[in-house]
Amino acid sequence: MSAALDDRDVVMSCRVRVARNVAGFPFVARATHPQRREVLETVRAAAGTTESTLGIAGGRVGAESPEPLAWIDLTALPKRDRQLLWERHLISRQFAEGDSPRAVAVTADERVSLMVNEEDHLRLQVLRPGNRLRDAFDTAMRAEATLGERLDFAFDRSWGYLTACPTNVGCGIRIGVMVHLRAMRVTNEIEKVKRAAKELHLAVRGFHGEGSDASGDWFQVSNQRTLGVTEEALLEEFAGRVVPAIVAYERDARRVLLERQRTLLEDRVFRGIAMLRSARLLGVDEAMKQLSSVRLGACMGLLPDVSIDELNRLTIQLQSAHLRAADPAIETDDDERAARARMARAVLGAWPA
Amino acid sequence: MAAPFRTCDHCSKPAVVHNTVIVNGKVTEVHLCEEHAAAAGIQLPGHAPIHALLGQLAQVGAARPRGPACPECGHTFNDFKSTGLLGCAACYRAFASTVAPIIARSHDGATEHVGRRPARAEVAAERTALLTQLGRELEEAVAAEQYERAASLRDRIRELRPAGAAGQEGRA
Repeated sequence: MSAALDDRDVVMSCRVRVARNVAGFPFVARATHPQRREVLETVRAAAGTTESTLGIAGGRVGAESPEPLAWIDLTALPKRDRQLLWERHLISRQFAEGDSPRAVAVTADERVSLMVNEEDHLRLQVLRPGNRLRDAFDTAMRAEATLGERLDFAFDRSWGYLTACPTNVGCGIRIGVMVHLRAMRVTNEIEKVKRAAKELHLAVRGFHGEGSDASGDWFQVSNQRTLGVTEEALLEEFAGRVVPAIVAYERDARRVLLERQRTLLEDRVFRGIAMLRSARLLGVDEAMKQLSSVRLGACMGLLPDVSIDELNRLTIQLQSAHLRAADPAIETDDDERAARARMARAVLGAWPA
Repeated sequence: MAAPFRTCDHCSKPAVVHNTVIVNGKVTEVHLCEEHAAAAGIQLPGHAPIHALLGQLAQVGAARPRGPACPECGHTFNDFKSTGLLGCAACYRAFASTVAPIIARSHDGATEHVGRRPARAEVAAERTALLTQLGRELEEAVAAEQYERAASLRDRIRELRPAGAAGQEGRA
């Protein structure tokens, strides 16, 4: 099997997140609403309203771009739209659910998001499809440096950048990937990955990150240690050793399946595509389960007419808030399940046609 | 793949402890320097979640029902224990004896930040150090009744003190 572009056969997306607090204000949980509003206005003024003002325009430092940075005030946002942002991995569930002053800035291409007043005053996130960690890291560092020129961050000489939770101090950076380990699930090797990750001080979480169930086929793996290590060393360790190892294990498992259990593999893949092309009512868990098998088949060349990028988009489009936003007529859960099945058929080709 | 000299996985020092982890028949190596191996207790204990670490401190909390409060923001030890979160930057100093071991355990024994530093904090830190020194000299000058020197020191201190300093303190 040839290595896919950006390891896209295994790595769905990669992310670099930076936590910072503005000096002179209590951390978010301790801050009053007026203080949180003041933090929000201070950060909003520092980040500005375009990619240029956030320092992330183009590939060069100081490059100009009029691409807007959209500021979304969460307190004024309906519940469904908050969930939509969460389903797109632009905000955390905790951030979506709160009602105190908070906002998120998002670039037009959704590559960069900046949550203000989550657990820390600033949570900057760069999200890229596939394995482009170095690219994501560079963008995150440029945005952080730009903000750091305009804001005083809470900092201690020994403990580095101070965060609300002491486990995030130091460089305050989390580097992570969302990986699709369908074959290792079939060959029963997921527990081994979880054990190895624990020994390497990595966090393993489910599709929706913190607090989500890591029992499906998608996993978010990220570093936990942030103190006593430089930003570049963290990136080197993670992008240079951890990710290649995970990708190699999954590709090995896929090869083994193809060589030794081809019938089992084909059964899972073709059942999956048949279900998505024919179902009339589809729950979200079942849709994700079948999408996972179909994605495995597409990555292994068993489904030449199904595109991996399209499947990646479907994992988000089939989520509840996305379906409800696309079709305002949805009222009941059955309406939603019917709409999910229609969407799957429309994208993957209905059978019978 | 194997290099003749391995550096520690966590710093640039030479590794003295080499552990091998076998996953799916694949060998993964763990290399640690003396310091990080000691910090990791050589057995490389897994990362403990914050609530588990705090749970171990529950008895300390019981002995001090409310515990000390942060002088800056009023956050108490109990607030920290129940949420896992600190209230402000000053809490790190106020609860240093509790927080320091948690930080060390969460970060593989590390106690010193080695990453990037904010340019603005460096400038501010240097200014603070200079202000402290000038303040000491001013006290000496006054004690020695060198009033001319004291006046010029007072002027320099006034120039150096950041304009928004008082406001910043008031907000925290």
